This record gives sequence, structure tokens and C-alpha cells, in this order.
Amino acid sequence: MATRMTSSMIAVGIFSAVVGVAVGVALNRGAASGSRPARTADGKPNFSGVWQANNEAYWDLQAHEARAGVVTQPGVYPNYEFARVAAAPVAALGAAAGVPGSLGVVDGDGQIPYKPEAAAIKKENGENWIDRDPELKCYLPGTPRAMYMPYPFQIVQGTNKIEMAFTFANAARTIHLDKVEGPPDDTYMGHSVGHWENDTLVVDVTGFNGKNWFDRAGNFHSAALHLTERYTPITADAIRYEVTIEDPETFMRPWKISMPLYRRLESNVQLIEYPCIDFAEEFLYGHVRKKPLVTHWEGETMIVDITRKVPPGDRFFDWYRK
Amino acid sequence: MRNRIIGVIGVVVIVIIVAGLLRMTGMSVDKQAAGPAPKTPWGEPDLQGIWTDPYQTPLQRPEKFASKEFFTDEERAELDRQRAGIPRRDARVERGTERDVAGAYNAVFQSVRPTGKRTSLIVDPPNGRIPPLTPEAQKRNQAEREYRLALLQATVTCKNQDAACAGGKYSPPSPRRLEMPPIYNTGRTNRNDGPEDRANSERCMAAVLPDFGGFRRIVQSPGTVSILYDTGQGQGWQRVIPITQNPHVPSSMRQRFGDSRGHWEGNTLVVDVTNFSPKFSFLDARENLHLVERWTRVDSKTIEYAVTVEDPTTWTKPWTAKQELVQQDGEANRIYFEPRCHEGNYGMPTMLLGARTEERAFAKGQGPDPATKDTATDFGNEGGVDALTGNAGAIF
Repeated sequence: MATRMTSSMIAVGIFSAVVGVAVGVALNRGAASGSRPARTADGKPNFSGVWQANNEAYWDLQAHEARAGVVTQPGVYPNYEFARVAAAPVAALGAAAGVPGSLGVVDGDGQIPYKPEAAAIKKENGENWIDRDPELKCYLPGTPRAMYMPYPFQIVQGTNKIEMAFTFANAARTIHLDKVEGPPDDTYMGHSVGHWENDTLVVDVTGFNGKNWFDRAGNFHSAALHLTERYTPITADAIRYEVTIEDPETFMRPWKISMPLYRRLESNVQLIEYPCIDFAEEFLYGHVRKKPLVTHWEGETMIVDITRKVPPGDRFFDWYRK
Repeated sequence: MRNRIIGVIGVVVIVIIVAGLLRMTGMSVDKQAAGPAPKTPWGEPDLQGIWTDPYQTPLQRPEKFASKEFFTDEERAELDRQRAGIPRRDARVERGTERDVAGAYNAVFQSVRPTGKRTSLIVDPPNGRIPPLTPEAQKRNQAEREYRLALLQATVTCKNQDAACAGGKYSPPSPRRLEMPPIYNTGRTNRNDGPEDRANSERCMAAVLPDFGGFRRIVQSPGTVSILYDTGQGQGWQRVIPITQNPHVPSSMRQRFGDSRGHWEGNTLVVDVTNFSPKFSFLDARENLHLVERWTRVDSKTIEYAVTVEDPTTWTKPWTAKQELVQQDGEANRIYFEPRCHEGNYGMPTMLLGARTEERAFAKGQGPDPATKDTATDFGNEGGVDALTGNAGAIF
């Protein structure tokens, strides 16, 4: 008797938990039910919602092993690339400053088919990340980079436009599903024109100014960049995001990245602004302050002196004695 | 105060000059009769499209129109005739002076739209004026004003008793130049120690809510309304309004554009906005600003936008402004939809570098004391007074 009561209580408990989860998820998804993708009033997949990539592409699109730091320097074996150590700007952050490894998001062998001269620039970019990456300056992140940065973004799917609002730098894209004039100038985020191929939203993106990167590893492109994005629902809460990347000035042939975008399922999810313009002012203008906040400048060069003190009781021998 | 209002509202459309100007600014006013207000396929009022207010209406009713809520068509035509007849910033002063060089931003950069129907955007209180400031806000403003005047006191602006120095005196550089401003600065001070001394507009952070100028693109889906604001000078921004009963984010979280919560009342999107940041100002209000916006699609080509502005620490009572937004060509894809002021802000480092150069020259006895130069107040006010707004030349 006692056992039977327990099992029926468990059954009820499980049932309510399942219903609770289902209701919570359904609220956030709008019209979606179960794992079937949501549809708009005219039967197209409905991508409206808050989404985020969940991978390492923002560090490096290519397949890569973990690195000791986002900037590194030769260790005691100067000839061994694999033995590089964290460099001064991030060394004080210890294991929090490294770059996680990843199989990458580039289809095929995980490598970007750079032309030889472009490969040299990419390598230089990576070595000079702090000096060169536009992300550090709070510049508009560009496309596709905005799609897989470690911040949520929101899709608002209207009747003839799809608006994308990004957390980082308050950037935005408008995808035109209807007739639209071309852009009168080149842009950071590109000029996006979309159409439906069955359940896939295909977006042609052109009109770039060539000032953006793909990631923090120095992967880059020119103003000749042409993207073909494909958004296909996998479930109600995941989109297959694929981009064919063409730029004959930089790459030997078109190449492709693909990754899922995941719905943020928190019931209270909303974009919280990341207003980074003034976050980057010291970085950009610190050298022309009357009284510098970062105290060590050589001309326009910021030199960051890092202090990492060992807290009381945290020295090795103290720890050993405990 | 005048400069601050212009800073907020007028930063906006830096476009072109009267008459024929609708065409030049890309704005359109369709003369055909409007149809009924459309609904989205999912049954909500449809606010989508590109919208702007193609007419110029002062936020507050100028004194000379005190008894009048609306202009007649004849009055508007006469005002436009007068307004088109002044040189504005094309007026030149003595060649080679700083004031003349400052006029390089000439009338081409000024936004002068045709006179609107209303004499003020403010409809409540009925006198069309912002209600009096609270004693607390007056004190705050007074402290800020005194600080600004102290930084200005050694300049030609005070020597000449220009309006920008009203209430101040001409005397040697103030020791207050070494002080922090009394509250977080959002306007131009006559000091260039770092970016924080310059106006938010010079830091590419001009846009604030509410916004009465420029263009906005509205895209909506069930449960969400997004608005991309173009507020001029590449300082526009993207807003997302959730339609939700969820409470606002915790009071400890402050955002530049506040926290918006929308709901539908009939044909009207009602948006409650709180949680503003102390780093940004709308007129005299900061983090205690509370807005209730009402976006109503009244017909096929018009949205009525009304906003009730409340801040008990700033104004003695709430006030309401209203404007009509007119639908624009949906095919237009102008570059102002990509705000990128910050990416090209060469002005900030060169301004600061210039200040450092002047300081070095002064230290060597090779130039004037930088404290005697006015790099804060507006120039180019010689170009006549606008018959509608009562303003002279200012652009930013």
C-alpha cells in the first residue's frame, strides 16, 4: 500500500513537472508546440525569439586546440609553437585567459582556404590581436561574426522584414524580404536580402566595407565579401545556420561554416544592453587624456602593468601546512 | 538650457533647408486620402514601416504663440517664408577668427523642416510648456551651471558678455578647472581633459529616449515590437519592446535606453519605460525618468506617438508630448539605418590631442592659456532668428 501510494505520487509528480516544463517552454516560444518549429500566420518557419550560438567560433572559426592565452608568447622552447605561454596582457588572469579548443565550424577539414598572402595577414592579425581586433574597440561586429558572439541576439520576424537586434554594441540587421533599394554605401553589417526556399530562409549579404573580422583569431575578409546564409529550423528551439563565404580577394575558393543557433529558454529572457562605446574609450583615447588613467603610455602605445599579489594564506607553503 | 534641448532633440536630423526640402531629405507626405489602420496577419495593430515627423514643431510652445495651440495654413506658409529667408549658419563673421572657422558646419548641416500644425509638441500642460522644475532639480542645475560658468569665465565669451556666459563673470581661470563636475557630465564643458568632458553627442552617445526626430523603422512579430531609430550623426540605435506582463528588470539594473514593457490597448501599443541610467540625460532628467509611450496606428499612413514624461525628482508634475509620424517609402534603404558614429569618431582623439598640444605650447610660453579658449559654447548665432523656434544658428 505504502509502495503503491509512493509510486502514484511519483507519477503525478513527474506528470506535473513535465507539464510545468512544457508550459514554461511554450510561453517563451509563442506558437510553437512540442519539438515542431513555430510557424508564422502565412505558414513560414517563425524564427522570432532570443537566440545564441553555443560554441567556440567567436574565439576561432577554424579547428584548433586549446591555447594558453588569447595572446601568447614563446615559452622556454622558442621553436615549439605548441609550447607557447600566455603573454603579459593576460598572464595575470591564469587559466581564465586561455582559449578553449574546438573542432571549429568550418565545413570539411576545418581550415579556411586563404590565399597565401592572406594567410600571412591572418597570422599577423592573430599575433597582434589586441592591436587590431575591431571587437576590442566596440566597433559594429559585422556579419557573420555578430551571429556567434557570446551574447544573445533577438530575431523579430515581421511580415516583410526580419529585424535582428544584437546585444553587442547595439548592432542590428534588417533582412529585406520585399523589394528594396541597394545600399548607397558600404556597411559593417552588410545589406541583407532574403527569400524562402521551402522551410529555409536564404539571405544574400553584400555591401561590406571590409573592416570586420570573423573571430578573435584574426580570421578576416575584404570588402569583396559575399555571404549566402541559410536558416533552417531543426526543432522549435534550434536553427541550423549555414553560411557560404565568398571573397575572391582573400580566399582561394568559397567555403562554408555551419552551426546550430539555440533558443534562450529562460522564461524571463530579454536582451540586456552591452553599451560598450564608453567601455572602449580608455583603449581608444587614453593616450590623449590630460591625466592618463592607465599610467604607462609610450606615445599611442598603451602599456599595461599588471600586478598579481598572492593573498594571505594562499602561498604554497601556507597551503601545504593546512 | 536651449543648447541642451537642441542637443537632445536637434542632434537628430542634420539634414537640409526649407521648402522643396521634403524631397531633399527623402521624406514624403502623400497627399492621397489615408485608408483604415491595418492589422498584422496575426491580428494586432500593424505599426510596421519607416516613419518620421516631416514637420518642425518646437517641443515647448514659444512665448509669442502662448495663446495659440494650432497654426492656420496661412500662418504656416508665412512662417516658412520667413524661416527660409535667414542665412542661418551661412552667415560669416570676421574671417580667420575662431568663430568663423567654427562656422564650417554651415547651413547645409542644419535641419530645417517646414512648420507643423501644432505650436508645440507638448499638449499637456495646456500651455505647451514643461512644468516647473522641483527645488531639487533647480539646485542640481544651478550647481552644474555654476561649474560650467567657472570653466568658461576666462574666455572671450564671458569677456564679450555673450548669452552663453549669462550669469557668469569675466575673470582669470578658475581653480574649479581641477574639480570634477557636480554630476556626471553629458554636455559640452569648456575643458578637454578626457572624453568625459565632452558632450555625449561627441562621444557618439547622443541618442536617448524619448526621441522626437529622425526616422524609425518598426518591425513586429507576435509578442515583440522592434524599433531601429536613426537619430542623426550615425548615432541611431536598435530597441526591442517585449509585449509582456513580466515586471521590469530589478531596480539595481540601469540601462541607457531604460527597460521597456509593452502591452496593447485597442489600436495602441502602450510602453512603460523605467530603469534609466544616470550616465544619460533627457532634458533635466536622469535615472528617475519614467515614460509611458502610446503608439497608435490611426490610419494607413499615420502613427500618433504620445509620451507622458514623469520624474518627481525633476518636474513638479508629469507632462505629455505628441507627434504624428508619417509613413515613408518602404523600399528606401538609406545608410542611416547603420549607425556608425563611433567607428569613425576621429573628432574625439583629435580634439583631445589638440588640447594637449595647446597645453604644451602654453607651458613653453608659446601660446595662450587653454583656459582662455571657449571650446564649449555655440558659435554661428549671427545668422538670424528662426521665426518658429526663436533659436539662432545652433546645430548641435
